[in-house]
Amino acid sequence: MSVLGMLVRQLLRFGLYAGLQVLIVGQLPPLFGLGWCFLYLGFVLFLPLGTPIALQLLLGFGLGLAMDISYDTGGLHAAAAVLLAYLRPWVLRLLTPRDGYDAQDTVNVHQMGWQWFLVYLLLLVGLHHVVYFFLELGSFQHPLRTLGRVGVSILFTSAALLIVQLLFAPVRRKRS
Amino acid sequence: MRNLIAFLLRFQGVMLFVLLEVVSLFLFVTNSSYQRAAFFNSANTYAGAVLARRTQVTDYFKLDELNRQLLVDNAQLRQQLYPPDFSRREADSLPVGRDTLGHLIYRHLRPDPSQALAAASPGQSAKGKTRDAKPDTLLLGGAKLATRDVAYPLVPARVLNNSLRAVDNYLTLNVGTADGVQPGLGVLSASGVVGQVKSASAHYATVFSLLHSKMAVAAKIKRDGTFGSVKWPGEDYSHALLDYIPRQNRLVRGDSVVTSGYNAIFPEGVFVGTVESFVKEPDKNFWTVNVRLGVDFSRLTYVYVVHNRPRTERDSLETALTAPEPTPVKPATPAKQLTRPPR
Repeated sequence: MSVLGMLVRQLLRFGLYAGLQVLIVGQLPPLFGLGWCFLYLGFVLFLPLGTPIALQLLLGFGLGLAMDISYDTGGLHAAAAVLLAYLRPWVLRLLTPRDGYDAQDTVNVHQMGWQWFLVYLLLLVGLHHVVYFFLELGSFQHPLRTLGRVGVSILFTSAALLIVQLLFAPVRRKRS
Repeated sequence: MRNLIAFLLRFQGVMLFVLLEVVSLFLFVTNSSYQRAAFFNSANTYAGAVLARRTQVTDYFKLDELNRQLLVDNAQLRQQLYPPDFSRREADSLPVGRDTLGHLIYRHLRPDPSQALAAASPGQSAKGKTRDAKPDTLLLGGAKLATRDVAYPLVPARVLNNSLRAVDNYLTLNVGTADGVQPGLGVLSASGVVGQVKSASAHYATVFSLLHSKMAVAAKIKRDGTFGSVKWPGEDYSHALLDYIPRQNRLVRGDSVVTSGYNAIFPEGVFVGTVESFVKEPDKNFWTVNVRLGVDFSRLTYVYVVHNRPRTERDSLETALTAPEPTPVKPATPAKQLTRPPR
């Protein structure tokens, strides 16, 4: 794929994830009265594996800032999303398959297998949510309640992103 | 030089990460301050347009509920037009206890009307009555506000965006500086206090909801006028706490809590909520009072932005009084001096 095509494709994904989040998913009633769905994280999580770290950080920051503007949170979403973008290469390195990543590998539940995908998703979404909710509170005052919000939100976000994968990720030949 | 570039390239990830984190945390920490351009929030023109379009679409799916709410508001307003004949009557005294002989002691809530009448000249009292019966007022949350004052319009607005789940909640309204909305103005709905305008662009405004950790509304208990401060503790959007009610005060479940008008954002007497429960905690000098808010934030649709009239004058007076070195009052303007007859 040419660089330009790639760029257009990623910009479209950016708009799609941000638009879906602000227009539809953010308006859903909270799960069990606690959890919120961060569908837009899918944009950062499902970026191509070889994306340069600087570009990833900038994209995460841009997306987070767009969310901050729509939800009036100042820089909260941006801070958490930048952290997510920074941690992603580390988690990818941690989860490297036995023979390394292939050139055509993407973050794809069919391609990388259920186990790999779930560990990747839960680890990164969990880290993001812990940082997000404790930063929002600005203290450790109500740990149980906040942990409840973190847990339920992890469930909500992960389920939504899994559905996105199952619906839209291309099914290709499985890794042997 | 080459080493420096190599170094920068090698650690570009870490450095960019730190830079972006510092920028976002700075934006986050300074978010609650008032004076901030209306760019990094939902009063932003583009974000506002998106949110307005979203509201247009979702309104179709809840027209029924919107109509029912407006009907309830209308019913309340109409009820003010046809008041029952005992509506002006209030108890002038309350039994507060018994004296040593077992007789009830009454406490007068206001000066005895017969004495007040005797004190005031008859012409003045008649004048006061006609002023009371002035039409063109709207009872918003229990406080009368003029609806047709050209200089200080009551700006009706639609809520475009409303959060409940966050620690600091904000609203977005579809009115802006073009409609006369300024940062710092109060926002009310028909059922009580909603918040305070944070920033405004030409056509949209962002509002601190009452459900914000740094928002405090100067309030008082309507029955005896005890002053306190309403704050949201951050859990349930239908309840808040009323602080600074001294422990020796008597409280009654169901008492109305209204704005005191002390912080000059809201007019005096706007409904905030009712006292639901109160406990005396051993380590505090004040009651912990739980207030059920009058406004249901989960279904907030139409609100009004209000100007509190004497605000500018009062603020300037208060700053002059609290300033460390009051500047000497300037002599009267030259124009006035000229008109004075020379001695």
